[in-house]
Formats: sequence, C-alpha cells, structure tokens
Amino acid sequence: MTTYVLRRIGVGVGLVLLVLTLIFLALHLVPGDPAMLLLSQGDGGSATPDAVARVREQLGLDQPLLTQYWQFLSGALTGDLGESFRNGQAVSEAIGERLPRTLELVGLATLIAVVVGVPWGALAARRGGWFDSVTSVLTSIGVALPVFVFGALLVLLFSLKLGLLPAGGFTEWGDDPARHAQLLVMPAIALAVGFASTVARMTRSAVLEMLHQDWVRTARSLGLSRRTVFRKYVLRNSLNPVVTTVGIGVGTLLGSTVLVERVFSYPGLSSLLVDAVTARDYPVVQGVVITIAVLFVSINIIVDVLYGVLDPRVRR
Amino acid sequence: MRTSLTSRLRAAARPRTAALTAAAVASMTLAACGGGSGSSDDPGTLRFGLSAEPVTLTTGVWQGSATNFVLTLIHRGLMTLDEDGELVPGLAASVETPDPTTYVFTLHEGLTFSDGSPLTATNVKNSLEYYADPANGSTLIAGLQDIASITADSDTQVTVTLEAPNNAFLEFLAVPTAAIVPDASLNADTPNIVGAGPFEIEEQNEGVGMTLAKFDGFYDAADVALDEIDVAYYPDGDARANALVSGDVDMIDYVTWENFDRVGSTDGVELAAQPGPFQYVQFNATDGPFADPLVREAVAYAINRDNALTAAFQSHGEPLEGVVTSDDPALEGLGDELWSYDPDRAKELLAEAGYPDGFSATLLATSQYTFLQDTALSVQQDLQAVGIDVTLDAPDWSGRLEKGAAGDYDLAVSGDVGIVTNPIYLLSFVQGPDNFNRSFGYANEEIAAALTDGLRATDDETRAAAYEEAFDLVATDVPFASIDTRDQAWAYSDDVEGFTNLPGFHTFFSGYTLANTSIER
Repeated sequence: MTTYVLRRIGVGVGLVLLVLTLIFLALHLVPGDPAMLLLSQGDGGSATPDAVARVREQLGLDQPLLTQYWQFLSGALTGDLGESFRNGQAVSEAIGERLPRTLELVGLATLIAVVVGVPWGALAARRGGWFDSVTSVLTSIGVALPVFVFGALLVLLFSLKLGLLPAGGFTEWGDDPARHAQLLVMPAIALAVGFASTVARMTRSAVLEMLHQDWVRTARSLGLSRRTVFRKYVLRNSLNPVVTTVGIGVGTLLGSTVLVERVFSYPGLSSLLVDAVTARDYPVVQGVVITIAVLFVSINIIVDVLYGVLDPRVRR
Repeated sequence: MRTSLTSRLRAAARPRTAALTAAAVASMTLAACGGGSGSSDDPGTLRFGLSAEPVTLTTGVWQGSATNFVLTLIHRGLMTLDEDGELVPGLAASVETPDPTTYVFTLHEGLTFSDGSPLTATNVKNSLEYYADPANGSTLIAGLQDIASITADSDTQVTVTLEAPNNAFLEFLAVPTAAIVPDASLNADTPNIVGAGPFEIEEQNEGVGMTLAKFDGFYDAADVALDEIDVAYYPDGDARANALVSGDVDMIDYVTWENFDRVGSTDGVELAAQPGPFQYVQFNATDGPFADPLVREAVAYAINRDNALTAAFQSHGEPLEGVVTSDDPALEGLGDELWSYDPDRAKELLAEAGYPDGFSATLLATSQYTFLQDTALSVQQDLQAVGIDVTLDAPDWSGRLEKGAAGDYDLAVSGDVGIVTNPIYLLSFVQGPDNFNRSFGYANEEIAAALTDGLRATDDETRAAAYEEAFDLVATDVPFASIDTRDQAWAYSDDVEGFTNLPGFHTFFSGYTLANTSIER
C-alpha cells in the first residue's frame, strides 16, 4: 500500500512539474507584452518605446527565456511564486486571499447540491410517477442552463425586482458577517443548480438500480419494512457512485466559478486568474495555475488512494 | 500599493472555510431580510462602483481611466478643472502670465501632503522637471517640453519660463498625471499614493476595493462634503449597472452603452453622458496601398459613420467627419468636416490611386473591447462595398497592442481618449515614435509644424489660421480616418449632488468634481 501511495504521489509531482512548464511556455508564446499593457490600460496615452523597455527591464522580461524559466522554477520549488506585475503584491499572498473565497463558494455550492440533490433523486426514484417526470424535466433544464444565465436571472429577480439581496460584490466576513453571507447566497446557488441536478439524476438512477437488486427482494421477504430496507440498504449502497459524481463535480465547479465570479463581481481565485491572463501578469497566472494543478492532483491522489483502500485490485 | 495592514490582519483572522460555510448558511436566513443596501448608509460616505482595479500608481505615467480616477481624488496639480470643466488654479492660488513665456504660480499658504510633510515650491519644481524628462515615461512631454527653467522664488512661489509660447501649457498641468508629489515619489518604484488632493487612501483590499478618506490638509478641505469614498471594483459592465440600479452603490463610472437605456430609465438614478473619446481607422503607411494618401482618403470617404455608431454604441455618440477640437470659440467649425460618407468618391479615389478593382487587406481590431470589434465589423462592410476585401483580425487587447506597435496590420480600428482638448493632442499622430494607436510608419512634418504654430500662437487669429492649415493637410493626407465620438457616461443615484461629467476628453477627469460632491440620504 505504501509503495502504491508513493507511486501515486510521484506521478502527481511529475504532473505538476509538467503543468508548470507548459503554462510557462504557453504564456511566453502567446502574443502580448505585459510591459506595454501596464502602460496602455484601456486606450489613449500611448507609452513611449523607452518607457516600455524600462518596464520590461524592471520586470525581468528582457532576460533570456531559459533564465526566466529557471528563476520561475527555482522560485516555485522553494514556495516563492514572485510578485504581481500589476500591483506588486506577493503572488502567494494574493492566492492566500482569493483561494479561501473560491473554496467557500465551491464548498457552499457542493453542500447545497448534495443536500438538495440526494434526497430529491432518491425521492424521485422511490415515488416515480409524475414526481419522477417533473424531476426529469427540471434536472435536464438545470444541467443545460449555463451558470451565467441562471446567475443573471437570480440578480434580476432577487436584486433588481425584489431588492432582497445585493447584486454582487464582496465583504469580508470579519467586517460584516450578514452582508458576507448575503453576497455568498446567489453565487453559490447559481453554481449549485447544475451540480444539484447532476447529483439528483445520479442518485435517482443509482437508487432505481438498487431497488431491482435481488437482495432487496430478499430483505423485504424477511419481513423488513419498505422504509427500513430503503434507508438502511438501498440508499446507503446507492451512494457510492454518487460520491464519485460529487468528487468529479467539485473539480468542474472550480471551472464554473470563472463565470459566476464575473457575474457577481466576486473576487475569488478565478477572477484573479482571468484578470491576470488579460493583463499578461505572468507570475499571477503561473501561481494560480500551479495552485489549481496541485489541488486537482491532490484530489485525484486522494480518490485513487480511497479506491485502493476499497478495492485492493487497483493497487496492482 | 501593497495590501494594507488591516487587510493582512483580517486575512490572519479569517476563520477556516468549513466553519465559515456553516456559519454562512446559518446567517442566510437572518441576512435575507437585510435588504439590498450596502453596509454603509453614512451620509458622508459615497459608495462607488469602479470599472477596473487600478494598477500600482506610478508617478507621471498614464495608466488608464481607473487609475486616473483615483489620481483625481488623491492628487492635485498646479491647475485643475472646475465643475464646468473650466481650467482653474489648483494647488496654485493664482497664476500670472506677465508675458507669453512666463508663468508665475503662487501656491496656497500652508500646503501639506497627505503624509504630513509640507508642500513647497521646491516640490513643484522637482515634480515638473520629472514630468518634463522623456526618460520618465511621462505623457505630458508635448505640454512641458518647452520649459526652459523652473525657479522656486520662495516657499510659495514658482516661476516657469518657456522657450516659446505654449497655449496648452496650463491645460497639461491640470492632467491628473501632472500632480505635485513629494520628492520621494519621483521614481518608477515608489507607489504614487501620497498627494495633496481632497482624499487620501485609507485602505486597499486587492481585488475588492479601496477606501479613501477626506484629507483635512487639502487647500479647499472646507468645501469637501464627503468624509469617505468607498470604492468597490465591478469589472463587468452589467454587474456594475446592476450594483447601481439595486442600490448597492451610489455611483458608477463607465456605463456600457447597452446599459444606457436601462440605467437612464431607472427611477432615482441619473445617467450623465458626454461625447468624449473618438474612434478612427489607422493605417500601416510603411508600404503597400495605404502608403498612398489617395487610398487613405478613399477609406475616409467609404466609412458609413452612422452605421458604425449604431453597431458599436447603439447610437450613443456622434458621427465624426473630421477631428475633435476643443470648444474654444476661436476654433469653432474648424476641422469638423474633412470627410463625409461618399462611397462613390471613395471608388474614384481608389481608381485614381491605381486600384480600380480594389485589393485585399487585414483589419486589426480586438475581441476584448466589443465596441472596437463592432466598429471594425461595420468598417469591414463599408470597405468591402468600395472594393477593399477586408479580413478581420481580433486578438485580445494585449495581442492587439503588440501587433499595433509592431505594425503587423494593414488597417486597424482604434480609439483614443486625448489627454488635452487643445488640438496639440494630434501631434502624436503625425510625429514621434510609432506606437500602437497611430498609423504605423506615418509622419508628416508639415502637419506637425502647423500644429506647433497653433500651439505657439498668442492671438486667436494666428491660432485659427495655423489650425486651418493643419486640418487642410489632414483632410488630404489622412493620418487617420475618423469614425465617431462615443458617449462616455457616469451614473449616480439622485442622492448624489454636485458631480459633473466633464465634457469631451475631460470626461475621464470628472473625478475632480467629487471634491465638491455631497450625498443626501
């Protein structure tokens, strides 16, 4: 087992290094000069070539690519991700600020998705009939509806029409907990809708499959009530594939936050990445991508290890 | 511009995510009835939704409109603009011009910077000398290049002598990047956050916003009604408009054109729009068809300006058939009608230039600013109609800048905000180093000379004659082909009093009027 885990971690480290190299090359190959951008925000006031050259020198962009790569790599390996070109903030500090916000959003969305999706799917499978049909239609819509469309609809209804919630923005928890929560509700729901629908559909089909198992019939024939059989055996056994779906879904959610953070002006990790790409803020882009890569690889390792624990066959 | 101490402390005190999530869910029920208003309803606080997060402020360097907005709040130059957009003394209590090349500035008594240090004539001298040096990346060169000497006569008096008369000199001193700053800020590495403006930066929260507090040392502090400006960043145009309409903020900048009608028709909200920046076609004049003035002129006649306005700005702007000039009465009507929409004339000119059957060309735009892309689509249609087969190239803004600066295009659609309304702003289109938003490889010393004559003129007649000559040359040599000016809008709640959207290029400097803005809740 130890060898298995070590092997998985080894592969993971290799993957992160690969991502690190790819992102470095991709950034430097894409057209666009961070120095010129810094001096030409929006339009007008075009910078002189001298000024651009000076900024390039300041940012170390006049160094050969290999030198820049080595500086980036050695920095990253020692935990120094550099400083933002735009505001001089340490990249690790920026990520430290933004990552918890995005994780909070994703965490809440996942919670909503599971709390709503699992009982809903289970109920649809158990009750069948019209409820099942309605569920099928609603979850199809939920899966198909782009998050930004749903987000915009939420803003239209709850902020602009009803005036119940702020349309977007961010307040630190410590400053104003109530407003912090208010600002979190709509983005989290927008993010959760598609995910909850997927979870509901997965739960429904898993439960249906279990209900037709021979051992369910056996349990009933032994005199156990329908309710007990459902709760103790059917639901519990149905949850395995659901857990996998949730695991994969969290990764997808991280991607969806890009749009949600934009619609709600939520300053999380995704919006940091988008702004940094637009500004060719190399250190920030690299730092965020590495963070996401490490997160993904870690989740994968954990899932793989869990599989290994559950099913010794995969360790080979 | 590092994260402030407070936000660091906050970050350290931040609870763990899981606990936070649980708590957030718990407080949602409480929160839902809290209403959509912001955390601060203090009558002294203006809640402002800004379209971009300003980058680290670098002294003297032009860094875009969001940065300029902050500069108008925390800084002041010798000159400033009043609520009517008129040029008035700022840090200078008075300005005297004994002769056309001498300016004597008398500073307000007892000026200090927001860090508490005194602001003296020496700071003025050092700041202006810094801005006048091209090596410092300043965009004020056209205005300050004529400075022969600056002397600090006393603590509160500065005399600037010019080599030749320059009637744009004072206007350049009112540009937000011309602020007087402490000597310690006069380099590229020190964030340019200490000033002598009506507000000072109290706190910055990267990615979220910043808080500005009234600076009591400001020369006109008695008239500053706001205690605080709470700036929150809303990069998305719709999100920004939503924030205002729903009452989350009191005021926003840069209302996107598709939001004009919605914002303007909202009860309790004021939309203040002014035609400001202009759009145009720039050419690669190094070789090929666009090196020929006849072909450039053909393009200027081929553009259907009304269509472009509808496509890009939903008609919120004005067609531009010449160059933008200041509202100076002496220049009225000059340069307004250099070209018109006349596809037949365009075809004639193309035939005259030896292209009766047209030719192919690439048109550089950008996918990042949709108004430039939509303008390009409209121009593409117009040019195709006269026989120029145009292929559109729309990289993101960064790619656009690089291609523009390298001359990697035949035609490009561009926008310019102009730094001053004095026609001298046109100089950078006909002279000096190539950059991303002027015609690549284009230069015309005759136009430059005429513009400079206009700048040197000390009477209205000479001035008008010089500009007439310049614009006549522009009409046939076509350094760029104008398309339109776009309405630039700020919007605010009815509670906000005293703010003005300054006309023309000065729209981006409207932050100056927040010094006289109040809020009645």
